[in-house]
Amino acid sequence: MQPLLDRYRRVDFFDEFADSQGVPRAHYAGLAETLRTIDIAEFHHRVDLVNSVLLQRGVTFTVYSDSRGTERILPFDLIPRIVPGGEWSLIKRGIAQRVLALNAFLGDVYGPQRILREGRMPAEMVFSSKFFNREMIGVRVPRDVYIHVSGVDLIRGRDGTYYVLEDNLRTPSGISYVLENRDVLKRSFPRLFENYAPRPVDDYPRRLLDALRYSAPPGVSDPTVVLLTPGIYNSAYFEHTVLARRMGIELVEGNDLLVHENVVFMKTTKGLQRVDVIYRRIDDDYLDPLAFKPDSSLGVVGLMNAYRAGSVTIANAVGTGVADDKAIYPFVPEIIRFYLDEEPILPNVPTYDCTDDVQRRHVTSHLDELVVKNTNQSGGYGMLMGPSSTALERAQFKDAIEANPRDFIAQPIIPLSCHPTVFGDTLAPRHIDLRPFVLMNEEVDVPPTALTRVALTEGSLVVNSSQGGGSKDTWILED
Amino acid sequence: MSRNVERAESLARILDVNYNRTVDRNAAGRERAARVWRSVFDIAGIVVDPELLEGASLASAAFERCTFSTEHRTSIVSCIRIARSNALSVRAELSTEVWECLNGLYLFVEAQSPRSVAREGPSSFLRSVRDTAQAFGGIVDATVSHEDEWNFLQIGRYLERSAMTARILRNHDFGDESAHEYQRLLEMCCASEPFAKAQRLSSDPYEALSFLFLHRSFPRSIRFCTHEVDRALHRITETPMGAYSNEAERVTGRLSAMLDFVQIGEILDEGGDRFASRIAERADAIGLAIQSSYFPRIPVG
Repeated sequence: MQPLLDRYRRVDFFDEFADSQGVPRAHYAGLAETLRTIDIAEFHHRVDLVNSVLLQRGVTFTVYSDSRGTERILPFDLIPRIVPGGEWSLIKRGIAQRVLALNAFLGDVYGPQRILREGRMPAEMVFSSKFFNREMIGVRVPRDVYIHVSGVDLIRGRDGTYYVLEDNLRTPSGISYVLENRDVLKRSFPRLFENYAPRPVDDYPRRLLDALRYSAPPGVSDPTVVLLTPGIYNSAYFEHTVLARRMGIELVEGNDLLVHENVVFMKTTKGLQRVDVIYRRIDDDYLDPLAFKPDSSLGVVGLMNAYRAGSVTIANAVGTGVADDKAIYPFVPEIIRFYLDEEPILPNVPTYDCTDDVQRRHVTSHLDELVVKNTNQSGGYGMLMGPSSTALERAQFKDAIEANPRDFIAQPIIPLSCHPTVFGDTLAPRHIDLRPFVLMNEEVDVPPTALTRVALTEGSLVVNSSQGGGSKDTWILED
Repeated sequence: MSRNVERAESLARILDVNYNRTVDRNAAGRERAARVWRSVFDIAGIVVDPELLEGASLASAAFERCTFSTEHRTSIVSCIRIARSNALSVRAELSTEVWECLNGLYLFVEAQSPRSVAREGPSSFLRSVRDTAQAFGGIVDATVSHEDEWNFLQIGRYLERSAMTARILRNHDFGDESAHEYQRLLEMCCASEPFAKAQRLSSDPYEALSFLFLHRSFPRSIRFCTHEVDRALHRITETPMGAYSNEAERVTGRLSAMLDFVQIGEILDEGGDRFASRIAERADAIGLAIQSSYFPRIPVG
């Protein structure tokens, strides 16, 4: 027998699994014990089993740039990532604090704009954001909730400190992988769970539905909630079906809804039914052709008017993108201090503001050691990874930065933590991040559901599913 | 025959749900798990030594007895053997498709060994049984003329299903209103998603019970299943609904009418478990009445 674990060699990054001496950390000891009894052949057999189950269930996503068959399984690595209870309670407090502050920030920038008038951050940063939505100025959203659902991306530096990398306040996806990964792993590889009782994840859809119902317009006691999807060609369509099915709500496309006298209705076989809450998985720009892109066929004509009239809740609220704009990100610690009068619990990654001349000069002369991100793009698109870039790419980015400094930020390369990941016949360290999902109910609700994404290519720091990333089941332990 | 296939399907699903729900639970969950496995014996109709119920490896004991045990005539393996031998004796009445489906299921189950299933984790085995048994129902509907033989197959299927839902409810802890427990109850009855869709507040325990006892159109509620038995009986004799021409129709009609008009509040006042027990007994009585009305000498299949 050749146990898989025998071949694991840690590298010089923060290793989640083993300490600097190569000894498994306490919360991984039970898993290490199990892995020592599992043969490579057996492991491959499990991998095949899991993949065939995922394919059969249709747990797939679409890669836009891939012109061949575009439906793929998100690669699922069977070695679970384990988060001990103590670390989780820190994470939980940290992201709850962040989401609460950012929610207050949104209420402010679309309302009194205190933070700008008091000069705590430059007003032009907000007004120049592509995601700042003038339609929303003066609109009161039900219960003052803007960020019903968010997926905060966390990474760990060389010493194991958790940093917030991105806030993802628009339509974060990935929760279906959390639900499916756990279910499939339990069914296909129950032995892995021998020494553990991770917190169950299957409660998430209920908690999401509770949060959505809570945010219904005032006076609606039994709200009708629907999930608005762009349709079957969207990369996250599978996720939309999973959530709608588990919550027992209707999955609708734009043309299933209509607006009459500022009230939103759903067309059903028994006539029109009033809709109170729309959990939309479609970008702001496509929501309403009257207000935004006139050529969009995904949205609902008149939706924005109904929304502004207060007869329907849109979750997340329109215009939340301004708060997770990459150029606003450096100000989040200040935002936390301003609204909550607290120090941030989780630190930001140091970030260069390219609109500042000194910082920009530093960025453009150190492109080979920085990561540069376009503030108008996400999902790993429009990014320059300095050390692995070509001279031509660096020159192009330099020109682009000089031309539109507002559109770029730069950060030092944070060496993401590593985690044992199956690679052929060995276990090898691969870089990972962590995306917990956060809900806004009466209070911020952080269910024990987090997605671990893993960069499957050796040395790669990009974990996005569209860029060759995979996922892991994430076990959050009790305190 | 269809009764035993139905039973194998339910048993496979119940074991799968409980197995899956006990894998990632904490210590408090483990205690609960022990209770869960004890109740599985009663749901499956398997009588065991009380000593065994206190043992440490309750899960594997339950699993062994409910799947491969040939001593117990209600284990999955026994149910499928009985169904196949029933099918052999009426082979001429069955379509080839029905026979091949059932025979395939029989050969599949016989070819498994407890050891190989234990190594793989039981889920894929249980799911295969469940899927094939469910397909069996579809093949019956699509390939057998909807005449007497089909009506009898319907009776077997729905009688067993109402008794199974009743046994599951009989073992439910009505004092435990946790979301986790209700979710498990619904999943054992295949009702999790249909219930979420039917009820807007999917966490209301009262509604969940009402759904399983009394829902009009959910195909595993006790009321729906009893109606199906009632209708099939009336199709056979062509007696109008609401009247009866034999004992089987009379007892089924009476139960069916009671379920149409009883309210969930009354059921819970009586005690949900007691009411469910009573239903399970009635289902058995209906089985006996059908047997004496139609098959005085052969067991109901």
